[in-house]
Amino acid sequence: MNDAAKTTIGTITVAEPVFSCRNVDVYYGDKHAIKNVNIDIGRKQVLAMIGPSGCGKSTFLRCLNRMNDTIVGARVEGAITLDGQDIHDKRQDVVQLRARVGMVFQKPNPFPKSIYENVAYGPRIHGLAANRGELDEIVNQSLRRAGLWEEVKDRLNQPGTSLSGGQQQRLCIARTIAVNPEVILMDEPCSALDPIATARIEDLIDELRESYAICIVTHSMQQAARVSQRTAYFHLGDLVEVGDTNLIFTNPQAKLTEDYITGRFG
Amino acid sequence: MTPSILIIALLLLSFIAYQLGKARSLAVVGGARGIRNLHSLPGHYGLLTALWCGLPALLVVLVWVAVQDQVLIALISAQLPPEVRSLSSDQFVLFLNDLRNVVAGNIPASQVSPATAAAAGEYLRLQGIARLALTALAFALGIVAMLVVRGRIRADLRARNSVERVLEGMLFLCSLVAVLTTIGIILSVVFEATRFFGIVPAQDFLFGTKWSPQMAIRADQVGSSGAFGAVPLFAGTLLISAIAMLVAVPIGLFSAIYLAEYAPSKVRSVVKPLLEVLAGVPTVVYGFFAVTTVGPLLRTAGESMGLSVAGESALAAGLVMGIMIIPFVSSLADDMITAVPQSLRDGAYALGATRSETIKQVVLRAALPGIVGGVLLAISRAIGETMIVVMAAGLAANLTANPLEAVTTVTVQIVTLLVGDQEFDSPKTLAAFALGLVLFIVTLVLNVIALYVVRKYREQYE
Ligand SMILES: Nc1ncnc2c1ncn2[C@@H]1O[C@H](COP(=O)(O)OP(=O)(O)O)[C@@H](O)[C@H]1O
Ligand SMILES: [Mg+2]
Repeated sequence: MNDAAKTTIGTITVAEPVFSCRNVDVYYGDKHAIKNVNIDIGRKQVLAMIGPSGCGKSTFLRCLNRMNDTIVGARVEGAITLDGQDIHDKRQDVVQLRARVGMVFQKPNPFPKSIYENVAYGPRIHGLAANRGELDEIVNQSLRRAGLWEEVKDRLNQPGTSLSGGQQQRLCIARTIAVNPEVILMDEPCSALDPIATARIEDLIDELRESYAICIVTHSMQQAARVSQRTAYFHLGDLVEVGDTNLIFTNPQAKLTEDYITGRFG
Repeated sequence: MTPSILIIALLLLSFIAYQLGKARSLAVVGGARGIRNLHSLPGHYGLLTALWCGLPALLVVLVWVAVQDQVLIALISAQLPPEVRSLSSDQFVLFLNDLRNVVAGNIPASQVSPATAAAAGEYLRLQGIARLALTALAFALGIVAMLVVRGRIRADLRARNSVERVLEGMLFLCSLVAVLTTIGIILSVVFEATRFFGIVPAQDFLFGTKWSPQMAIRADQVGSSGAFGAVPLFAGTLLISAIAMLVAVPIGLFSAIYLAEYAPSKVRSVVKPLLEVLAGVPTVVYGFFAVTTVGPLLRTAGESMGLSVAGESALAAGLVMGIMIIPFVSSLADDMITAVPQSLRDGAYALGATRSETIKQVVLRAALPGIVGGVLLAISRAIGETMIVVMAAGLAANLTANPLEAVTTVTVQIVTLLVGDQEFDSPKTLAAFALGLVLFIVTLVLNVIALYVVRKYREQYE
């Protein structure tokens, strides 16, 4: 790894960031998976993270809601602040953090419960609804915002696994927004879906951007260009370049970024 | 040659045939260099020759071994002196018994009647001739087949296909043996049970509340209809199984949860094999443990609390049986819990669920069908378990729900009914088959349901 790649090219800061990450390093045992990453994540916009497989996109994403805590041997160093508060602070409860920072996974993973219970699960464990009526309302609203309500309103009691892949992924998004987070992290949310289901999710991301900060990892350059306002390019654990999506895709500054988005490797 | 030596000789002949066939196939294509012109490998040609050489001849030998006694007896009967032929059928059976004993060398010929000795001599003579003929026939068959097949080996003979068909047939026969044996066992149980139900009405057996089969031995008391009411046995079995499950399910399940979700890998790698060792302890050792340790312990404990505990209490048997089943439950539950995809746990954690919330509400929920299936399998084991209850549960057919009293179970009664000298058509003995049938049906149903549930669950995550 040459030294030039270690400084990120582009603008890492944004006005009033929701997340601010400074000098973040992640190790899996001896393996240095994320190297000195600095980046801000803005409100009400979509940040796309791209880069070849194994470059650390998922690892970095998992830093933001401390999901790396669940991995034995994983170690995160550096400062990550959410609304100015260090998420690794002793006073920071990880349960609270994850309620504020939701996550959608690569493979749809609905719980083995009914559609209703899938969405109601988060509000229940966080005590967000005082009574059944309020819970119904949250479930209804979340399914509507995830664009799933019309398709499932007559079958809320059927198992979540009975839905199609694309519907399951929207159910997982509904489940995430049901706890009313500030940030939604998405790790390749469309890679297991067909093009039509993918298009629906992309539309949904565009709508959700009006209320949430969204970080999405994607392998599709077109998807990054379509849904995001900012793009970050990772390479072998380094954050190589970050900037406006338009600029990154039309006029990349780093050679590595250019090679990647023009398809010279990937 | 005796048939056993003959069989060995035929195997040797087949081996020679193998070598001949193999060499011939190579010779046909002009040595090892022409091997690519052969349809099959040389070994296949060898096997084909060996099979043709050995199988028909072996079949002939086996058929003869199966029928030889009947054939020889029939031949001898035809030329017996008139005084023997005029014997009553009972006496004739005795005569044949003597004859066979002399032939087998169990009795010296000098100790039996001259007629018997003569017949035995004749039997041995005929047997000798038959053996000679059999040997000649088998060898002729084998050698002719070997030569014919060898002569027909060409480069394009599809030896591999034929050999594989024969091997497939043999495998099929083996599985047929297992299936037929099972069917035979079931049929014999059903048959004997039907005979029992011919003597004791099925509703008396299934719903009667008084069990005392001993009375039926005395001819004048047969038919006292309360004697074969099996309800106390069913109740005893249920009581002991329930106690066992009360022990095994919570302990097994919780240890599985600990092992699968909490234990560091070091602890897991020690505890899991240890639990599986428990499963390997012979049940008679558990029974021993129940009689010598748990039973007396419960008794003293009961006395100190002012309770009277029977020496052979349902509680002691149930507790020990429960311990026996723990590894069964825990290893099945552990499999089911570890089969729950990590992505489900991640999904719950990402929503802010704590570890125990995740386990309770997501992991166990997902593993539940599999765990239920495992518990059903465990129940069917508890119901069928014999040794522990024979040693620890006692014989008194009490109809009680009090675990401190002695009860008896279906399996214990089957054992007591069949141990010792029995007449095979008394209701007492036949009752064992009826009990066996009930046991079989119950465990079969439980197993079918359990396997269905487990399979259904496995499919869900593929
Ligand atoms: N749980 C883990 N333990 C050890 N190494 C890991 C683990 N997860 C990921 N890694 C390693 O960290 C690097 C980054 O992985 P990841 O973040 O999954 O990449 P990406 O999502 O960009 O494909 C890879 O080299 C991967 O092998
Ligand atoms: Mg990844």
